[in-house]
Amino acid sequence: MAAPQVTRFLTTMLTHLLADTLVIYLAASLNKPIQPVLDTFAAREHVIVQRESGATLEHIRKITELHRMPDVLLLADADVFPKYLVPGYTSWFAELARNRMVVAFTPRSKHANEITPANWRTILQRPDVEVGRSDPNLAPVGYRTLLLFQLAERHYRQPGLAKSLLAHAPARNIRPNAAELAALLEAGELDYIYEYQSVAESKGLRFISLPPEIDLGDPSRAKEYATASVRIRGATPGSETTVTGQPILYGLTVPTRAPHRAPALRFLAYLGSPAVRAQLRAAHVDMLAHPIVVGTNAPAELARGNDR
Amino acid sequence: MIALHQVCARAGGFRLVDVSFTVPQGGYGVVIGPAGAGKTTLLETIAGVVRSTSGRIILGDEDLTHAPPESRRLGIVYQHAYLFPHLSVRENVAYGAVSDSIVNELSERFGVNALAHRSVDALSGGERQLVAIARTLARRPEVLLLDEPFSALDPRTRTTARRIVRALYQERRFTVLHVTHDFAEAGMLGDVAIVLDKGRVIQAGNPADVFRKPASPYIADFLGAENVFVGEARPIRPVSPDWLASGDADEDQVQRAVAFTTGALTFYALGDARSGRMHAVIRAEEVSLSTEPSMSSLQNQFRGVITEIAPAGAITRVTVDASGTPIVAAVTARSVRELELAVGNEVVAGFKATAVHLC
Amino acid sequence: METIVSLETAAAPRRSSAVTRAATGVAAGLVSSLFLLFLLAPLVGLVSSGGVRGIAALGNDHELRGSLARTAITATIATLLGVIGATPVAYLLARKRFRGQSLLAALIDLPIVIPHPVAGIALLLVLGRGSPVGGALYTSGLRVVGSTTGIVCAMLFVSAPLYVSAAREAFVRVDPRFESVARTLGDDAWRAFRRVTLPLAARGLTAAAVVMWARAVSEFGAIVILTYNPKVVSVLSYDRFTSYGLSETLPVAAVLVLLALIPLAALRALRAGGRLASS
Repeated sequence: MAAPQVTRFLTTMLTHLLADTLVIYLAASLNKPIQPVLDTFAAREHVIVQRESGATLEHIRKITELHRMPDVLLLADADVFPKYLVPGYTSWFAELARNRMVVAFTPRSKHANEITPANWRTILQRPDVEVGRSDPNLAPVGYRTLLLFQLAERHYRQPGLAKSLLAHAPARNIRPNAAELAALLEAGELDYIYEYQSVAESKGLRFISLPPEIDLGDPSRAKEYATASVRIRGATPGSETTVTGQPILYGLTVPTRAPHRAPALRFLAYLGSPAVRAQLRAAHVDMLAHPIVVGTNAPAELARGNDR
Repeated sequence: MIALHQVCARAGGFRLVDVSFTVPQGGYGVVIGPAGAGKTTLLETIAGVVRSTSGRIILGDEDLTHAPPESRRLGIVYQHAYLFPHLSVRENVAYGAVSDSIVNELSERFGVNALAHRSVDALSGGERQLVAIARTLARRPEVLLLDEPFSALDPRTRTTARRIVRALYQERRFTVLHVTHDFAEAGMLGDVAIVLDKGRVIQAGNPADVFRKPASPYIADFLGAENVFVGEARPIRPVSPDWLASGDADEDQVQRAVAFTTGALTFYALGDARSGRMHAVIRAEEVSLSTEPSMSSLQNQFRGVITEIAPAGAITRVTVDASGTPIVAAVTARSVRELELAVGNEVVAGFKATAVHLC
Repeated sequence: METIVSLETAAAPRRSSAVTRAATGVAAGLVSSLFLLFLLAPLVGLVSSGGVRGIAALGNDHELRGSLARTAITATIATLLGVIGATPVAYLLARKRFRGQSLLAALIDLPIVIPHPVAGIALLLVLGRGSPVGGALYTSGLRVVGSTTGIVCAMLFVSAPLYVSAAREAFVRVDPRFESVARTLGDDAWRAFRRVTLPLAARGLTAAAVVMWARAVSEFGAIVILTYNPKVVSVLSYDRFTSYGLSETLPVAAVLVLLALIPLAALRALRAGGRLASS
């Protein structure tokens, strides 16, 4: 009668006492797709997973300023690894999946039934439409929006388009990260947002695909993307830094001083397994065929796809 | 005038139940009762500060049951002055005053002129109360409600305040309802005495009557009647020749003669031919002492031994043990000296049959 | 004969042993010191590490100055609105006894208890574009989300309950008899309130407003849901931390701690003045 419950309770207690821990810092936009993968991993490997999700720069600050080290770091922007973490905190990182910029909306958005890939610029410049974007100084999706504007101006051959699009996504509609932006869209406060396709899909938002020339989603167009650049806030107040257009790639690393290295490596292997890759693809994460590893001393588990 | 008809009210833990009484226009009403009886609630209900739940309140000749306090043309003085702390003395007196000249006149009369520009917390308790009374009267109320206004004052201020209020009352003839626990004061002041207990009026009438003929031993005891006896009453025919012989008795009294037995004593009282177990109340002032029985019209005389002499100002209370029953007499200090009363002496305590109240 | 009644002397005092007394004293002192240390050390540390640079930064960091001004102004507007709107409620709770009174008081306290972002979300639901009220405001040109209006609303929502509690206390401390006396002296309810209750409660009400203001100024979670830009100083400091890291945030944080001393000083002055005046 009570025996099964008691057994289960005791097993859970024992598991917690004897189990390994895995601390993972996660990009907010990856929350939904990765959660089931983490749960399965935890159950299989008897590992307790502590997940912290948030904006890219938040995670960076936790590591560099607060010295809180995760075992796995999975971010929506591979750019930040060389900028902040290599070589001080890790010697390598891997580019895992792609993403694209889209214009996301809901059925409640104004002119939702009119908008098409052909007329999105016109709709988003209408005075009665509320357009939102992320803070370029805090979130990669923010400055990628600005790069998108530049690329669009060039692509559509419309001088002044970038400025106009920017003006129609004013400061009051800026939010610090992609997740908050999407939340505001769902709440009905915004009509359209510039967002990652993965986020739009995982939240079930409708979206307009943009031309691959401007959506920063095609790794083979890296040179084209590099023609756009924006200036954002630098590392210290008053300073500025330039960001050049690059394809959007999710990046991952296991820091050199990760507190629980063994479970981290097992997770890497698990992540690379075909089953999980398929699972992630189904969850709208555009996995690269093979991870692109940058740096030195990357673990072997990355290359092998461990299927159990 | 103040007339209440079946007024009910509830405030905090206190309530009023079916309160009815009338104080005539220009009359002086006195309210007495134990703590918690609802005396303050009564005043506040009349003032309109507490809302009555049923009944009618008539002030002057208007039914003001539902009128707000500011329309009732009355004033209330509490035991505590409640002077507005953020205003000066003069500003307090002038708060609801009908004119500046009134403010000056009353400040003069209550002797608080010199304090006019002082702040309220610099005054003594007595001064504060004088200001409070002046403030209330400056509005020329038609009805004045007093809630033990003098009880917290030192004797000198109390006398002063009482004197001024009395004088103003004589001049202006507003109607007064005065809550007091000083029965001597009540007796001195009032036209109407109202006994309140647990929110109900248990007796109302002329103060002297209420005191001498309390409606229950409880009231008697509360009013400080010193002689309250339990015993048996028995209507009698006029058997005692003393009565008829002294010529004091008249036909009416003869018919109502009652013999009351308590302990070893039997005395004669006038009651409505009642019989049975009841109480007899005799006020100490009605008992006189002599060394020998007198042949006067005192029908009840008992020999006894003095057990206690308690001086209290001008009056001394002498307790006489008459055959096991203590009788308290209130005599002047002078009489004590003249009669050379001392504990242990034998005396005769006597009182009229008319002084015995049966209830 | 008079009996001599023996009077017992008062019972001898019951004392703990000297050792217990000493130990209790030491323990109490230790606990108190640790607690005070816990409260003060982080603040002192903050001010000492960033204070000087922070005050210097005020000179040339116009984004910080703008944010400070914005925060102070919106908090002041929220406080004024709160005082005007909540004072009658506080008075009602202080004076009247009615059914559902404790329920009302509990509901008013709710915004204090719920997590701040939840408060922000609740406000979004009611004042956002998609709601009846918010929609009406939006079409008439008054934007709530993403504006200073939104900031004021969030501040008002989370800090007004503090004002209601404190203002209620202030009114409770004014003996209702003063009002009764004023009424019998000819004042109607409003005049009595204006001439007697309000002056006597003024000090307490002001202290309540200062508490509300201080709370409004420090709010983050509820504000950031409604309005990220323009930034109040709490949002700005978090933004700075995320963008630049600790070393750049410390001066801002230190300045904020120092500025917080102003409402504290005001409160102390009000309380001290009150102690002198009451008798």
